[in-house]
Amino acid sequence: MDVSTMMGMLGNGFVATLQIFFLTLLGALPLGLLIAFLRMNTKGFHLRGVKIRPISLITQLYISIMRGTPLMLQLFVIYFAPYYVFGQQLTENSRFTATIVAFILNYAAYFAEIYRSGIQSIPRGQYEAAQVLGYSRAQTFVRIILPQVVKRILPPMTNEIITLVKDTSLAFAIGFVEMFTVAKSIVASQRTMAAFIAAGVMYYVFNLLVAFVMNHIEKKMNYYHD
Amino acid sequence: MNKKIMRTIVIACALCLCIGALSGCASNASSSSSSSTTDRTKLVVGFDEDFPPYGYVGDDGQFTGFDLDLASEVAQRNGWTIEYKPINWDAKDLELSSGSIDCIWNGFTIEGREDGYQWTDPYMDNSQVVVVRKDSGITSLSDLAGKTVLAQADSAALHLLQGDQAELASTFKDLKSTPEYNTAFMELQSGAVDAVAIDRPVAKYETAGQDDTYMILDEPLSSEHYGVGCLLGNTSLTETIESTLQDMDSDGTVASICKKYADQGISYDDWILPAK
Repeated sequence: MDVSTMMGMLGNGFVATLQIFFLTLLGALPLGLLIAFLRMNTKGFHLRGVKIRPISLITQLYISIMRGTPLMLQLFVIYFAPYYVFGQQLTENSRFTATIVAFILNYAAYFAEIYRSGIQSIPRGQYEAAQVLGYSRAQTFVRIILPQVVKRILPPMTNEIITLVKDTSLAFAIGFVEMFTVAKSIVASQRTMAAFIAAGVMYYVFNLLVAFVMNHIEKKMNYYHD
Repeated sequence: MNKKIMRTIVIACALCLCIGALSGCASNASSSSSSSTTDRTKLVVGFDEDFPPYGYVGDDGQFTGFDLDLASEVAQRNGWTIEYKPINWDAKDLELSSGSIDCIWNGFTIEGREDGYQWTDPYMDNSQVVVVRKDSGITSLSDLAGKTVLAQADSAALHLLQGDQAELASTFKDLKSTPEYNTAFMELQSGAVDAVAIDRPVAKYETAGQDDTYMILDEPLSSEHYGVGCLLGNTSLTETIESTLQDMDSDGTVASICKKYADQGISYDDWILPAK
């Protein structure tokens, strides 16, 4: 196998990896924020003197399950559950759909906790000051709280996003072929380590790029100190 | 008081989960669609893409291999389109019963799995052998006492060492498993393990051209047979595949496919599917 064939194959695999990466971010970043809100929801009722917050409790259970079980297992469950639980025949597309859904659900749980840490780090006084100045609750969050939250959560978000790039290789558990799977198959048939090295370099360079972009955003948001 | 209520809630949630999981199992027994041969238009072959010479990535980057060539010829003669579907070997049963593949055709050993699949008659004779480093001083199975031996997870060799050859395996220092053969040979070469238990043709392929590094022990672990595995009950598919293979054998196609992979350890001498 010549180098151009190998790089072409790895390139195709990398496109699949990028698909998982971007679609997961697209779904998990907003979903994570929603989950963070539900997690911090204070609505509830008193039961024998104790306040029960059902929405928050259910969300905590969700986060606990998503963080407490392996992503590989979640991929299996989401891919095969439609058939084994509901008797629905799987189609050609279900592999890809299940991969994306599993990644989004899993990463949203982690993102939610990062959002929460950011939101809860903002002093109460700011909410009170905004109220005095006549801001509505939505205005307060979007104009005052969120910009500071984004600033504060960038370093842990960068961590999680870089992990996501590498976690994409778990997708082959349910037969979704991405770059690492391609590299493995080339190594198996060609009996050379070259494909592993090339794949490693591609992961590394892409993560360098991710870190660079995140660093750039961090600097841009460095317009005031608190 | 506080703790008590929390505990009740946690237990209630756990119960809900258990009930959910159990109800999932209960509805498991859904009807399997065994489509008849007449309305089949496509054959989806599930295989491990890291398993040369039966199914692997060729020099041109396309899937190739002895079993894939056979499957493609069978599909063509029946007017089906063929689709090669690389699968995670540990998930092969899930893939098959959920209908995302039609058969497993990939140097698939029948022994030990007789009741798990609808099999064709065996078409290839295959032995399980042990590969060692040439300089290791191991020359027979009894020399393996106190050594570390590796086999692919859920492979025929591993089942053998845990079943019929368990007595031999008990003399090993350790019996390990790895997800794929490729890493197995990396571990053997680097000295992390002393021997690899593996199918003979794969052993021949992996050791080809590296005779000074590796050695295949003369004494086989067992003699086994390859078949095509379909979903239990799908006899129409296995019968069609079988009779097409017999046609291919009688007109010499099988022999020429064997020849194509001869340098990778495939020999027509091992073809055992009886003629019609």
